[in-house]
Order: sequence, then C-alpha cells, then structure tokens
Amino acid sequence: MKHRLSLQIGPVSFRIGSAWAEPLDALARLYAGYSEPEDGIADFTVRLEPEQIWRRWIRPSVAIRGDYILPDALPLALAHGLLAAEMGMNLQMALGQKRFLLLHAASAEKDGRALIMTGESGAGKSTLAALLGERGWRLMGDEFALLDLDEGRLHPFPRAVSLKNKAIAVMEQEVPGDRFGPRLEDTPKGTIRHLRPNQEALGRMGESARPALILFPRFGAAEAIRGVGQAEIFMRLTQASTNYVTLGAAGFDALAKLVGACPAAAIDYPDTGTAIGLVEELWREAA
Amino acid sequence: MSGTDEKAGGADAFVPSRRTVLVLGAAAASTVVTIRPALAQTAGSVLNCEIPVPGPHAAGSAIAADGTPVAAGTLGAAPPLARPLRGEEARLLLQGSTPPGINPSSAQAYANYIRRLQAGMSGFTCYASLQMPR
Amino acid sequence: MAGPRYIADPEDCVRSVTLDGLSVLFHRPSGMTHIVASPAPEILVALRQGPADAAELLRRLREAYDFDGDEAADAVDARLAELEQAGLVRRA
Repeated sequence: MKHRLSLQIGPVSFRIGSAWAEPLDALARLYAGYSEPEDGIADFTVRLEPEQIWRRWIRPSVAIRGDYILPDALPLALAHGLLAAEMGMNLQMALGQKRFLLLHAASAEKDGRALIMTGESGAGKSTLAALLGERGWRLMGDEFALLDLDEGRLHPFPRAVSLKNKAIAVMEQEVPGDRFGPRLEDTPKGTIRHLRPNQEALGRMGESARPALILFPRFGAAEAIRGVGQAEIFMRLTQASTNYVTLGAAGFDALAKLVGACPAAAIDYPDTGTAIGLVEELWREAA
Repeated sequence: MSGTDEKAGGADAFVPSRRTVLVLGAAAASTVVTIRPALAQTAGSVLNCEIPVPGPHAAGSAIAADGTPVAAGTLGAAPPLARPLRGEEARLLLQGSTPPGINPSSAQAYANYIRRLQAGMSGFTCYASLQMPR
Repeated sequence: MAGPRYIADPEDCVRSVTLDGLSVLFHRPSGMTHIVASPAPEILVALRQGPADAAELLRRLREAYDFDGDEAADAVDARLAELEQAGLVRRA
C-alpha cells in the first residue's frame, strides 16, 4: 500500500497501510512517542482501502480491511480515517488475538496490581481509566485488557483513549492539548476525540500486573456499591471477551482463575468525582 | 442416619461418606445456563454496520410487536425507521434497552424485527456479526 | 416401563470449577461452557457410574442424599431434559 505506519502497543504490534496519507499522518501524530515493532515484524495488518477504486478520490470512502474483516462493514468518510484506523486495529485484536484472553475492559495499574473495569459501552470506563491515569495510576488500556493464559497476569495495551461526546470536555480540562487527536464530528459513534496516554503509560507498556480488583461501573445512577456473585462475574466476563470461545479450555481456565482470585463489585456513580472515590475505596479494601 | 454408607466397589463407585441433603428443586426451575458469548460488547468499536428497519423487501411497512412487517398505519405497530439502525443501536435493542432517539414503546418491535432477520435480508450479516461467537 | 437411558461423558471430558456454590463447567467435546446449579452437578456425577434412566438415577441419588420424595421424579426428569438440551448428557 502507498502509505504505511507500524506501531508496537504493549505486547502486540500492528502494520497499518493506507491508500491515503491523511489518516496515517493523523495516526502518527496521535501515536508520537510509540516505537516501531522490533525486527519490523507486525502481529496484525490493517488496511484502509477505497470501497471501490474510484472512491479513492471522489467522495473518498475508507473501507476497513486487514488480516481479519467483518462482512457488511460499512466504509467511513475519509475525514474519519483516523477512526477507521483505530477500528481496524480493534477488529484485528477482537478476531485474531490468540495469545491472550481478550477482555473488553479498561485497566489501570498501581503498585504492581491491576484494576479491571468492564461493562457496556457508554458506562464510562474509558473516561474513568483516563482520569485514573492522571491521578497516580498507570493507564494500561481503555479498550482491551490482555490476560495471560499461563500466568494470569494482565498485560498493558495502551492505545489512544477513545473519548466520546461529553467525556471529551472532561479530559480536555485535565490534560494538555498536544496529547489529543482531532475532534471528529458525526462519526457512526457520535463525536470522538482520541487521547494519547501519558509518558508513564508509554514508558511502562512492557510491564504486566497481577489482577486485583474487577469493577462493573455504571454511569448515571445514584452512588452505590453492589456485590456480584462469582458465577455472574464469570458470565459477564465471557460476554466481555471476544475470544473466550476460540480459546476453549485455556480460556475457561484463565477466566476461572481470574474470577477465583479477584474480588469484584458493581459501582454506580452520578459523576466522575464520585467514581474515583468509589474506586479508591474499593482498591484499599481489596489490598 | 448416622455412620457411613459404604459399598465395596471400584474407582467409579458412588460413595459419599456422609449423607447430605440434596435440594432437587421444583421441576419448573432452571438449573443449567449455557453461556453464549458474542462479539456484542465490542461491536461498536470494531464494526460500522447498519440494519434498515424494515429492509428494502418491505419498504414502508410498519413493524408489529412480534417483529413482522405489516401494513403502514396498522394499530399498535411501530413506524418504519427513517434511517437504518447502527450496529450499536441494534445491540442495545437486542439487550432490551432503548437507544437514544427511538421511541421506547417501539423498541421491543424493532428488537424482534432484528431477531427475525434471515440470510439474504438487508442487515442480516450485521446482526449475525453482533451475535456470533468467535 | 423404563424411560430413556442417559449417558454422561466421563470426567475427563469436563473441566469444572465451583464459584459461589455454582458449578461452571467447560464441556470439551462441544467447547461450550455452562453454569449449573444443584442438583445438576450431582446428577452428572451419579450418571457417570453408568447409563441410567430417570428411575435408576433417582435410586442412585437416594443412596447418597436425603431428599423429599414427592416431586423428586418430576424434578429429575426436568433436570435430565435440561442437561440433554445443553449437551451435557445424551441418550444411550
């Protein structure tokens, strides 16, 4: 492909090819400070291609392709090319990752132990993780948490944080402007702005952590902490995993070990300040 | 009854050493839940897809509560959607929620319409992608 | 008037963990995972002794456990049907 960029993100590397320069220019700016994969070999390939040949120039339309694709996927406008690159990387992970049990979760580390936050989109886990990353925690990732199949440790996957709608303003108040990508309006996911994790997250992206607390956060309800039964946690985590089924017995064992070892709670919160308070409180109790 | 119940037998002998109470439960109770994981929670992050409601094969039809297309204006039926559902919205409907911009009293009808999608109908692979375990 | 006889796969076909009093089972042959509550796990163990119909299963369970007799036969039938649908037991 005409334009290429390679990125190492935690233990996983990507090669992104694009028919247009713009998305990769934006990606390179957003991922300033990330390294290229050692020995140049990428785990996954993403390709941003014109939907039809002539759509490279006329009302350009970016189809997300790569090692793995989903049928019926609609293209995105070229103005949203950066989002297409991000979705492409997510897609490769969701469909192709076999080294780790993949959980759709945000994670952060403190003192060598990891907090896992999982739940439906819009629950606020990306924003919470990003905030924790600015408040004494190390952000490990906002989209995917990688659980080692052998040792049960959690590995970082610090992609750019995907902030949606109101969460953008929240983080714009916390973090300098040069860590943000462009503001993308009217995307299929609403308004999006990407945020690069801070220096600590980047510098330590090779360090795994022992899972110590699982939270199911829910934004928009009165402050509450609720216990969750272990069997229900197991079930919810399978729902949050894109590769639990493909991993078979190894996935079962890894998840059973995680659930057996880790306390968990569901937390409801009306605002992020309350959320951070609940997180810190439960983290102390889990120590 | 105190004491142990023992039977001579091989390795397969069913020999608990103490009697415990086993709650058999009511016949109607359910004791087996099969986990059916799907791409569902991640779908919005990986897939940009759409489901028109109804599809072109039934353009203009309203949607009955059970998800079947019916004549426009049928009493109690949900109106056709002006724009196709995004994957995220379909996922929310399938889990019983109402996405923003959708009338809550129509949500169930739209969810059932999605569930009834067959191969070849517009949006089927979008729906399948949301559901398929990998 | 024996009913259908059922078989459960041997122990090495199923990985099992107990979480919170419930059994979470990974059934290797199907690759599927199930969460099962009592008496389903106990029925599987009893069935591993050898193929059995519902009546024989009830006898095996009575040897090991105390339980109320009235609805027992109906309950065991229902549990077997559930386990069959999940693929954890099948007809001999």
